[in-house]
Amino acid sequence: MTDIGRRRLLAAGGGIALTGALAACGSNTGRSGGGSGPALSQWYHQYGESGTEQAVKRYADAYDKAQVTVQWRPGDYDRQTAAALLTDSGPDVFEVNGPTLDQIRGGQVVDLTSAVEPVKDDFNQAVLAPKIWQDKIWSIPQVIDMQLLYYRKSMLADAGVKPPRTLDELVDAARELTAKGKKDKVKGLFLGNDGGAGALGGTPLHAAGLSIITEDGKTGFDDPAAARTLGKIHELYADKSLLLGAPTDWSDPDALTQGLTAMQWSGLWALPQVKKALGDDFGVLPFPKDGSGGKDAVPVGAYGSAVSARSKHKKEAVAFAKWLWIDRTDYQRDFALSYGFHIPARISLAEKAKELRSGAAADAVSYATDLGHSEPLLWTTAAKTAYQDAVSRIIKDGANPESELKSVVRKTNAELERVKKK
Amino acid sequence: MIRSLLGPQNRNLWFWVFVGPFAVGLALFTYVPLLWSVWLSFFDAHNTVTPTTFVGLDNYVSMLGDDAFLSSLGTFLLFSAFIVPATYALSLGLALMVNRVRIAQAFFRSVFFLPTACSYVVASLVWKLSIFNGVRFGLVNTVLGWFGADQTAWLSTTDPPWYWLVIVTVRLWLQAGFYMILFLAGLQRISPRLYEAAAVDGAKPGWQTFRHITFPQLRATSVAVVLLLVINAFQAFDEFYNLLSDARGYPPYARPPLVYLYYIALGSEQNLGLGSAGAVILALIIAVATIVQARWFGLGRKED
Amino acid sequence: MENALVRAGRALRLVLLIALALLFLIPFYLLVRNGLATEADITAPDWTFFPRALQWGNIAELFADPNLPMARALLNSTVIAVATTLGTLLLASLAGYGLARIPYRHANAVFYAILGTLMVPAAVTFVPSFVLVSSLGWISTLRGLIIPTLFSAFACFIFRQYFLGFPRELEDAARVDGLGYWRTYWRVVVPNSRPVFAAVGTIVFIGAWNAFLWPLVIGQDREAWTVQVALSTFTTAQNVNLHELFLAAAVSILPLILVFFLLQRYIVAGVERTGIDD
Repeated sequence: MTDIGRRRLLAAGGGIALTGALAACGSNTGRSGGGSGPALSQWYHQYGESGTEQAVKRYADAYDKAQVTVQWRPGDYDRQTAAALLTDSGPDVFEVNGPTLDQIRGGQVVDLTSAVEPVKDDFNQAVLAPKIWQDKIWSIPQVIDMQLLYYRKSMLADAGVKPPRTLDELVDAARELTAKGKKDKVKGLFLGNDGGAGALGGTPLHAAGLSIITEDGKTGFDDPAAARTLGKIHELYADKSLLLGAPTDWSDPDALTQGLTAMQWSGLWALPQVKKALGDDFGVLPFPKDGSGGKDAVPVGAYGSAVSARSKHKKEAVAFAKWLWIDRTDYQRDFALSYGFHIPARISLAEKAKELRSGAAADAVSYATDLGHSEPLLWTTAAKTAYQDAVSRIIKDGANPESELKSVVRKTNAELERVKKK
Repeated sequence: MIRSLLGPQNRNLWFWVFVGPFAVGLALFTYVPLLWSVWLSFFDAHNTVTPTTFVGLDNYVSMLGDDAFLSSLGTFLLFSAFIVPATYALSLGLALMVNRVRIAQAFFRSVFFLPTACSYVVASLVWKLSIFNGVRFGLVNTVLGWFGADQTAWLSTTDPPWYWLVIVTVRLWLQAGFYMILFLAGLQRISPRLYEAAAVDGAKPGWQTFRHITFPQLRATSVAVVLLLVINAFQAFDEFYNLLSDARGYPPYARPPLVYLYYIALGSEQNLGLGSAGAVILALIIAVATIVQARWFGLGRKED
Repeated sequence: MENALVRAGRALRLVLLIALALLFLIPFYLLVRNGLATEADITAPDWTFFPRALQWGNIAELFADPNLPMARALLNSTVIAVATTLGTLLLASLAGYGLARIPYRHANAVFYAILGTLMVPAAVTFVPSFVLVSSLGWISTLRGLIIPTLFSAFACFIFRQYFLGFPRELEDAARVDGLGYWRTYWRVVVPNSRPVFAAVGTIVFIGAWNAFLWPLVIGQDREAWTVQVALSTFTTAQNVNLHELFLAAAVSILPLILVFFLLQRYIVAGVERTGIDD
């Protein structure tokens, strides 16, 4: 396997890949040949973009105070780490879509405040906020991911539709695009195979001018506007304007680039792929506002680098995390911009990045900076699941939004009560 | 003293030599986790397997008051209502036909039995990405398209609930052949004399013979098949997980109990106390249902 | 008249059987068709019955894909399935024989304690099992993937039922020759029970090859992936190559189909004997 892997790399990559391949020589687990000190294991979820895996192994190999082994884990990463953190065979340093509040409360991750504190203000505050609990920082944001609405300019022009700037316009546009595309079996909009419940999350609430959890820690969507906005997404579904059951889900731009849909909700990570397939025939938009109090909404978030409390070398693990994600800004820049397409989590790096200054990328960055909202830490998995179930029933079954949301509000209040205890 | 422990002819010793290794392994890998689960179910065990906050029956109360859990039990009932009669009828029908066919009997038997070799992962993949793919190049959509029908998103349409068609057919395809073999074995045990006697009595071959001879004679097989079908339906996990889950989790429909608990306990929610409570409730339901069924059909009496 | 009707019925049955057989073979056809097609062939709006040019190159591509360690996964699955089969046969047949034939006061209690575990779905005890195995240090090892699955109450049950019906005369003859339980078992019982071993063995082998949930959590490192885990992981990975996925699936069932055709008569014979239908 190693041999094949190396050959593929040499064939595929340029200079950067070459260094990576040489460094990884003789071991496909990424264990560093040189270096002294304790052995640390570092976990990443599988990034789709090629070169990322080699890059993170290269970073790990460059560290000389510990032997860092990189594990690249495809599949359901959140569940793998959650299960592994219960055991001694888990990682020392790992990236995590969180950590979740219960992971912090359960003492599964190490406090990283002292490492982050000196440069705290340099981080994008929207993505740093969910990493903080009781004034302590529990993971270091790596890169910013965001979601946004892609559309095919040509298809919209053909149908005589303007890029939608309100939710009502989006509903109308999707309907007209679907009608126009009927004979080619092209749908108007793709929000994910589940109709949008999973991908959109709390975004419609922000579009309605609300929030998931308020600043003072209360449920933020106990409001008629929430039900009204979610009802409009059901309208999209009822109009049959949504693409459903595509071979790949919303996170993959294939549905848009293969011409199955005219508009698609996806991530910033998809931008290079869309650009390659469609050239200039696309644009990006935030999720459009709804109602008089509404605001355009763009969800942002960041995988963070955390240290497991079960690590046998906590001090060394923290030092490594700090070295990579605080000190080595060159690696942080490389990681964000050279492979996939992410915004660096450090403001100073994002400002310097020329890749982010023109075209759709520039639009995306300005949306993220001005309109970005992240999922609050207090939004526990149990509450989130209840919300997503309700949204799914509202969208697909046409369930009554008021009564559905009422039970979610009840659940969310109960969860907020639970985590405030102790 | 030692003599009496060993039993006559060292029988007790030999019993444990034969049964011991198996029993110890089973105890370690089934009973220990089971008791551990029961213990966890009385604690607030978020993200830990060694909890300290005892909560008594709270987890059970909230599980039994959880609409999603109750509806997952409903999902199981509905699933059984589809899959048990469907598999029963199809596998019996196949067995009857294969048993009587004179040409290429072995071929037909192999073809229907072959899916048994497939995994739920592979079958789900074929069903999800090819046969019932929701886009235009899905097989069923293609065929329906020839008749001018619009494309249907089979797995994500909840009204009408087309996803049941996908879920039921995949299991039907996978398991019908296995039960067909059971029925074939049952059929071959029926004495030809019974049929001869029936013919003498003027029973016509076909429906009459089936109703009065074949079907009653298959009673034991039928009971076993139904029992196995119900137990297996209760433990359904693989096809649901592989057909319906995505990166964000699982939709709120077609969510059977095991899938629901899997997400509570092992998902990022990691509420091991609540998940264990649900698991204990499930195990109790299965135990009661099995005993009731066994008594009902008069099984197990032979054992004693 | 009667004859014509019977013949018509027979013809109808044959037509129905052929139709059903074709229906049952569709998934296999799709595996091959999609596996040997180009991505464009699969996603084309018009259905092609078979790809215009079979892409045999897909096979090389599959085994060279660094994201899907197919060769390694096949090896793992083979080792696991063979070891599980042998281990299960040994442990379960011994236990089944002991329960059926060695008089012991608490034999029934032991039997019901074993049988009772059949009612506990594996997924119920899943989390503690996982923690237990990990505290033994067995995560991502073959030990962890094999040993906990060796104790199949189902196999034990089948063996016990079978041995209950084993002709006593054979054992009595051995007893007269002065053989104890152990030697009677190995010299008389096992050689005369080959079909049931073959039957249970095949079923266990298929089950071990196709197992999903346990290998999913225990086989975490890609070095420890089985084919099922590799396939499932690959399905949920970010960029799905349909043709590669289908080809991988086709490759994954190939060994089983082989085993299946070689041993089919044992399975069929075994099912008839096992007593689960009694």
